[in-house]
Amino acid sequence: MPRHDTMPAAAPESVISLKGVAIGYGGRAIVEGIDLEVRRGEILFIGGGSGCGKTTLLASLNTLRPPLAGSIVFEGIELAGADDETLQRVRRRFGMMYQLGALFGSMTLLENVRLPLEEFTDLPREAMDAVVRAKLGLVGLAAHADKRPAELSGGMQKRAAIARALALDPPILFLDEPSAGLDPVTSADLDALIVALNRMLGTTFVVISHELASILSIGHRFAMLDGARRRLVAVGPPAELRDRSADPWVRKFLSRSPSGEAA
Amino acid sequence: MRGPGGIVASVDGDLVCESVGPALAALGRELIEPPAAIRLDLSGVRRLDASGVAVAVHLHRLAQPKGIPFEVIGVEGDRKLLVDLAMRGQDPVPSPRPIGLLREIGSSAISIGSMARDLLRFAGEVSIVAVGILRRPWQLRVRDTIAAMARHGSDAVPVVGLLGFLIGAIIAYQTYDPMARYGAKLKVADVVSVSIVRELGPLITAIILAGRSGSAFAAEIGTMKVTQELDALRTFGIDPVRFLVIPRMIATVIVTPLLSAYASILGVLGGFLVLGPKGITLTQYLVEARDALTVGGFLQGLAKSAVFALLVAGIGCLSGMRTGQGPGAVGLSTTRAVVAGIVAIIVADSVLGTFFYTLGI
Repeated sequence: MPRHDTMPAAAPESVISLKGVAIGYGGRAIVEGIDLEVRRGEILFIGGGSGCGKTTLLASLNTLRPPLAGSIVFEGIELAGADDETLQRVRRRFGMMYQLGALFGSMTLLENVRLPLEEFTDLPREAMDAVVRAKLGLVGLAAHADKRPAELSGGMQKRAAIARALALDPPILFLDEPSAGLDPVTSADLDALIVALNRMLGTTFVVISHELASILSIGHRFAMLDGARRRLVAVGPPAELRDRSADPWVRKFLSRSPSGEAA
Repeated sequence: MRGPGGIVASVDGDLVCESVGPALAALGRELIEPPAAIRLDLSGVRRLDASGVAVAVHLHRLAQPKGIPFEVIGVEGDRKLLVDLAMRGQDPVPSPRPIGLLREIGSSAISIGSMARDLLRFAGEVSIVAVGILRRPWQLRVRDTIAAMARHGSDAVPVVGLLGFLIGAIIAYQTYDPMARYGAKLKVADVVSVSIVRELGPLITAIILAGRSGSAFAAEIGTMKVTQELDALRTFGIDPVRFLVIPRMIATVIVTPLLSAYASILGVLGGFLVLGPKGITLTQYLVEARDALTVGGFLQGLAKSAVFALLVAGIGCLSGMRTGQGPGAVGLSTTRAVVAGIVAIIVADSVLGTFFYTLGI
């Protein structure tokens, strides 16, 4: 797959801005003082060791778990202390793909992708189905529209989850571990799909992953969390961080070097 | 624009989610009379998103089965890629053959046959493992068995007692007037004690057991099946029947007759709730109730309870082991465990009732 490490030509506009954010459980912070900008049209990977708070951070970005401290501004809207109505409005602006797909097992793929359209648009049924089939076509699942998730492979379920996340054409997509558990070819197909959607539609992607091949080949920027130091330790183009980061842990992580602790 | 070579449909402005409906309606009017070919011109489209390409997808799907050539023009670069991606694999899919009556009857018969085969195999497996445990009792998971006895026995005491007591009172209410009319109001104690101890006590206890424990067994074991915990046990060389089923079955067979006896005692006392205010003393009532009962009748109730317990626990565990895939599978197993459990209880009750009657017990 060709490398895709150039940003869109337009000047970077911040769509999500985090300032001094602390995330964690039960009042105990896993990571503190996160300052990070998500720029419109970029593919931003967030990574780090297991248990470093990647998925918890994503849960704060997608409004499901308020941060313990700090401010998250989503397209100009402050999420801290926002009421339910505001959060609902924000939720219409992004799509979310969960690690295991989270497709509704009792529904076909067509029904899964149609659900947000039924809930939030007034499209006639014929147009709605055409839109759903287009979305399924984009992820290569048009021929499986009438199947249920259990009839599909893991990779197909993830692609279907992306189609559902795209249902309302959100400008931002959050993907949680899209490549986890997939074979390298399916994983590369998924990366190609992310690049195609990013380029064709200008969709901003925030991807939680520690798949180095994906981070290095399609990520515009990489933000690395370190659970041991409880902070965001690096943000920048992945290849640059791998070769020239001042932080040895970041270089080791991105070049898949052993930590040396096992010796 | 319609010409001899077909129709050219042009879309101008923004082609996004909201405009798909009106665009399809307008194009639908143009296509009432099938054209020789369709060309969709998107050169005038300012903004095109992933929903907007649905117009191309829809026309493509309409044109395909009629053999009408279709192409999208006026798109280049990423837009062309977007349209091409969305249209791939969109050839009309043949609809599945309708299921005929014969096929449906056949598939139902196969399904029932497969369940009967599973039931037999399961009964065989359980018997073999149970005999093995009788020969090597240390293989029984005693802690699990005791935990199951607590969960499905002592935790059920309040509900079983309440229902037993109320059923006893209801029987007394229903029979008091006819008996009193013949001057045999004390005989209400006979009716209550015989019907509760021989029939309704075990039956109510078993139905509560099916709802509480049969469903729980199916859900617990079904969830373990879905999350591959049963496979994990097998790969360790541990037999899931010995590990999961036997402790539950033993626990249920031990606690159910006890619960049934308890329900019967409270049911008989419930009858006094009606007779007490009618001038009958507790001693009179209890002596009458005792005289109506026989040891055989009491043992019959306990024996029925043990059989019901075996059926409910076996069906609950089997439903769990037969759980399929997907999020709805555990729910289906649980429903199947409760419904099949209750049906089995009633069928077994009628068979056992006939059996005991024939023996004169």
